[in-house]
Amino acid sequence: MPRRNSRFFNLQDSVFKYLLIGVSAFVVLLFITLFYMLIDRSFPSISINGLSTLTGTVWNSAAGIFGAVPAIAGTLFSAVIATLFAIPISLGVAIYFTEYAPSRIKSVLSLFIDLLAAIPSVIYGIWGLWVISPLIKIYVQQPIVGAIGFIPIFAGPAYGLSIFLASMILTIMVIPIISSLSIELLGGTPPSLREGLISLGATKWETVRHVGIPFARLGIFSAIILGLGRALGETMAVTMVIGNSYLWPFETSSLFAPATTITSKIASELYEATSTLHIASLIELALILLVITLLINTVARLIINRTIKRGYY
Amino acid sequence: MSNSTKLDIQNLNAWFCEKHALKNVNVKIPDKEVVAVIGPSGCGKSTFVRCINRMHELIPGAKASGKALLDGVDVYGGMDVMDVRRKIGMVFQKPNPFPNMSVADNVVAGLKLVGTHSKKELAEIAEERLKSVGLWEEIKDELKKSGASLSGGQQQRLCIARALAMNPEVILMDEPTSALDPASTAKLEELVKKLKNEISVVIITHNVSQAARISDMTAFFYLGELVEFDETRNIFEHPKNPLTERYITGRFG
Ligand SMILES: Nc1ncnc2c1ncn2[C@@H]1O[C@H](COP(=O)(O)OP(=O)(O)O)[C@@H](O)[C@H]1O
Ligand SMILES: [Mg+2]
Repeated sequence: MPRRNSRFFNLQDSVFKYLLIGVSAFVVLLFITLFYMLIDRSFPSISINGLSTLTGTVWNSAAGIFGAVPAIAGTLFSAVIATLFAIPISLGVAIYFTEYAPSRIKSVLSLFIDLLAAIPSVIYGIWGLWVISPLIKIYVQQPIVGAIGFIPIFAGPAYGLSIFLASMILTIMVIPIISSLSIELLGGTPPSLREGLISLGATKWETVRHVGIPFARLGIFSAIILGLGRALGETMAVTMVIGNSYLWPFETSSLFAPATTITSKIASELYEATSTLHIASLIELALILLVITLLINTVARLIINRTIKRGYY
Repeated sequence: MSNSTKLDIQNLNAWFCEKHALKNVNVKIPDKEVVAVIGPSGCGKSTFVRCINRMHELIPGAKASGKALLDGVDVYGGMDVMDVRRKIGMVFQKPNPFPNMSVADNVVAGLKLVGTHSKKELAEIAEERLKSVGLWEEIKDELKKSGASLSGGQQQRLCIARALAMNPEVILMDEPTSALDPASTAKLEELVKKLKNEISVVIITHNVSQAARISDMTAFFYLGELVEFDETRNIFEHPKNPLTERYITGRFG
């Protein structure tokens, strides 16, 4: 064996170690700076408006009133609805892909899922605005309003641009995330477990249901949270299709009415805002969004850790 | 000595894509006896048993032809494939209890799919089957634990209990002791001898003396062909084929 120059390797090793520590520290520092910047810049709003940002339902920059509730509600509602719709569709795609699809369909399907994930969100926005909005208005919203419009959440008039449309567009944007991860996870089901259940007379569906999904469930849960995060943070497409109205959900609770989200509020007002308080309020909105995202991720981590501790993974 | 035929396998051929892994196998598996399947690794033993309960066809590109008559009904055509697998149980080389299910749920996992049993019945069946594989006394206080928390030998007996819970008529075992320690192996061999009071057992083993110890009939496979099938005593005392003799005396493979 050739003698290794151990001093050189030791040096190399410690340089590498400090490099890694440095990179990690940089990531942490970056996050802290970002968080600090948001708090610092929103400080005028936090100190002047106080809690009324979190309870107020009116946003009137001329009058200096900045209540964030409709934007928070729009953000949470559209993201949660989109994720809820995306879950069964994505799992359906993933189950079809891993259990049923012939290999030629598989390659086409995975190409399209990747493409869907790669489409810039402004294109989803344009598509939602010009194609989906009129379709949904004529074929979904108007018939529903006509049939059960007396129920407030389905009340007319049926605006094309609405929280409903935004949720649908977000659904389409979330599907590739959840489905591509679920395909990986379900495809990772240990063959011995699959065969175990199949040898007991299980159908393909039963095998997925009782072995594949339980085995992958923590991963699928993480994928869903990732999808939810994507939906919460999406800006461009939502801004283009949600109609940017602060009347939902208090003046009208109809799903077919225009609404707003935190991201679209910021995107549509930040460049026009001139007063310090207005700018600070918009930045406080961003801070609220960050806190929401962090909370969701933390809770998700806790759930995952608890499940792992219980030993059934 | 041979009982009536339980499984009559005729002209069985199997392929993996182009590879012809099983060549025209004809064999009659008797009722309530133990049939050992021996042969060098890669000779088609696993393929043979996996054709019997139609697990072979799950592998992409795998094909099979021929007949396997279970009490006269062809598992290829005469029966629903799920039914075939319920009537012909299987135990694998590596114990594969479901880690997301408790010990008790593992035993009745297959019955739950059929969905015709009450909770009470399921618990009774679980107890009965754990008793018949000699596991009840060892783990009756751990029924709620994950199936994966047991030792290797216990896991394998749990898998046998799981197969037995379906009330199969035949049980196929693919080298069930190859991952077990000697003590667990001995227990499992005892269990196999007991099982033949109820059902037919087809057991693959790479251990020739195990075949001699536990089986009534032995099938020797070589390069995808069934070279010799006879009563175990004859195979070990007067093998007709020189290949068989060379294999059982340990002179190859
Ligand atoms: N999944 C598979 N794909 C392709 N060929 C296989 C596969 N499984 C087994 N074979 C081939 O089929 C032959 C028989 O294999 P097998 O039945 O597993 O043998 P044994 O169980 O006797 O060791 C071997 O030559 C093996 O290489
Ligand atoms: Mg094998």
